[in-house]
Amino acid sequence: MKAATRQIIFVICFIIAWQIIYSMKAFPEILFPSVTSIFEALKEGFAADDLMSMVFYSLSLILKGMLIGIILAFIFSSFAVVNRVFYDIYNLIVSIMDLIPGVALLPLAILWFGIGEITIIFIMIHSILWPMSRSIIDGFSSVSPIYIESGENIGLKGLGLVLGVYLPAAFTHVLTGLRVGWARAWRGLISVEMIFGTTGSGAGIGWYIYMRRAHIDIAGVLATLLVIILIGVIVEYGIFRTVEKNTVRKWGMVR
Amino acid sequence: MSSEIKKTPVLKISGLTKNYNDAPDSRNIIESLDLDVPDGEFLCILGPSGCGKTTLIRCIAGFEDYTGTIEVDKKKVSKPAIDRIMVFQDFNQLFPWKTVEKNIQYPLKKNGTTDKEKLKAIAKEHLDLVGLTEYKDFYPHQLSGGMKQRVAIAKGLALKPKIILMDEPFASLDAMTRNRLQAELLNIKQKENVTVIFITHNIQEAIVLGNRILLMSKNGKIKLDVKNQIQKPVTPASEGYGDMWKLFNEALQSELDQKA
Repeated sequence: MKAATRQIIFVICFIIAWQIIYSMKAFPEILFPSVTSIFEALKEGFAADDLMSMVFYSLSLILKGMLIGIILAFIFSSFAVVNRVFYDIYNLIVSIMDLIPGVALLPLAILWFGIGEITIIFIMIHSILWPMSRSIIDGFSSVSPIYIESGENIGLKGLGLVLGVYLPAAFTHVLTGLRVGWARAWRGLISVEMIFGTTGSGAGIGWYIYMRRAHIDIAGVLATLLVIILIGVIVEYGIFRTVEKNTVRKWGMVR
Repeated sequence: MSSEIKKTPVLKISGLTKNYNDAPDSRNIIESLDLDVPDGEFLCILGPSGCGKTTLIRCIAGFEDYTGTIEVDKKKVSKPAIDRIMVFQDFNQLFPWKTVEKNIQYPLKKNGTTDKEKLKAIAKEHLDLVGLTEYKDFYPHQLSGGMKQRVAIAKGLALKPKIILMDEPFASLDAMTRNRLQAELLNIKQKENVTVIFITHNIQEAIVLGNRILLMSKNGKIKLDVKNQIQKPVTPASEGYGDMWKLFNEALQSELDQKA
């Protein structure tokens, strides 16, 4: 726990330094707020502006998108593992689509689906589907033949073999895909919400931070950034690390 | 031996030929091989590297396609199934994501045994058999190579297969562990009347374990087929051991000379 202690001390020092710079009045207050006013803004955001429901709204969109994306990735990747022709074609599709940033698809999505949830979910699916597919295909094709033969020997085939052997054996790759997909979806979501915010719909956290800027509420902007960081920390340490600890780490598949 | 070995062949192979066809000049690994294995036999197959002994056992397991016929209990082998369980040489054949106990129970569950108490009892019985009862909650990566092989054998036995196919399961173990596992396997074999086909390149191992020993030659044929009637447990001091060893050693040497 030594690393954690050092890190906490650093964070405290950083906050103190921030406050000292603020009290030296080196920058105008409108651009460099005090620590207390940031926390005030945070409190107000949750109390008056319903920041919490915006956070949940944003997260619910990601969740829907990720869920659909993950399911599609599993279906397509499983087909790709079974069928060589599909593998070649899907491999090409994944390689191409993986190069397109989610936001770059936004104009197309707006024209197709209009401004609303569907467009956001579309971008979310795009963010998770390709990295997830890449990871699953890589993971599935690197499953040791001995596990597959052991599975076949005990009578597993088709979907049973995929769920019983391929999936757990490739779980390290699956987790990597989830991490990359989540990171892209989260970044994409905030960008998309900001763009939507200017046109007046889609009240998520991206829209909130954008509105704080419009009100030249620098404390509010920084407070929202804190919330974004916090969510990232919760997802990484609360979800991914926990899953990792209880799966691949426990199984001795990673050290 | 407590019970007399019945003479009905559990495994009947006739005219087996196998060619991987992976190169324009690829040769037949196994060439029109005939073999009958009676129920309850402990058959050891010796042979130089590349003689096709692993290919033979993989054909029996159903992992390879072949020409000719392989019948287990008069049913033609076409794909892997639980009546023929394979124990590999590789220590990493257990599923690392399941505990020792679950590794044994999972195949049973997938084949229709769902009663929790029954599954527990079967796992315990077979872990007792290989002396790993207290390791039931361990994950494979926490076990030594010898323990993993024991679990793999227990897992195979729990499925009550007609034949256990062992592809050099002890070849990667140190000599001491190997000797212990050989003794344990013989012990198990006396308790459970299962047919064992055991591949090895170690003459001593074949003589210690088998009650019948085959030697396969480089061209995929059976060169020697000998009943091993040396009293178990076999040691190098056992009567007939020296002759048996010499017989197989000379045959093996002449195979190796041909290659050079």
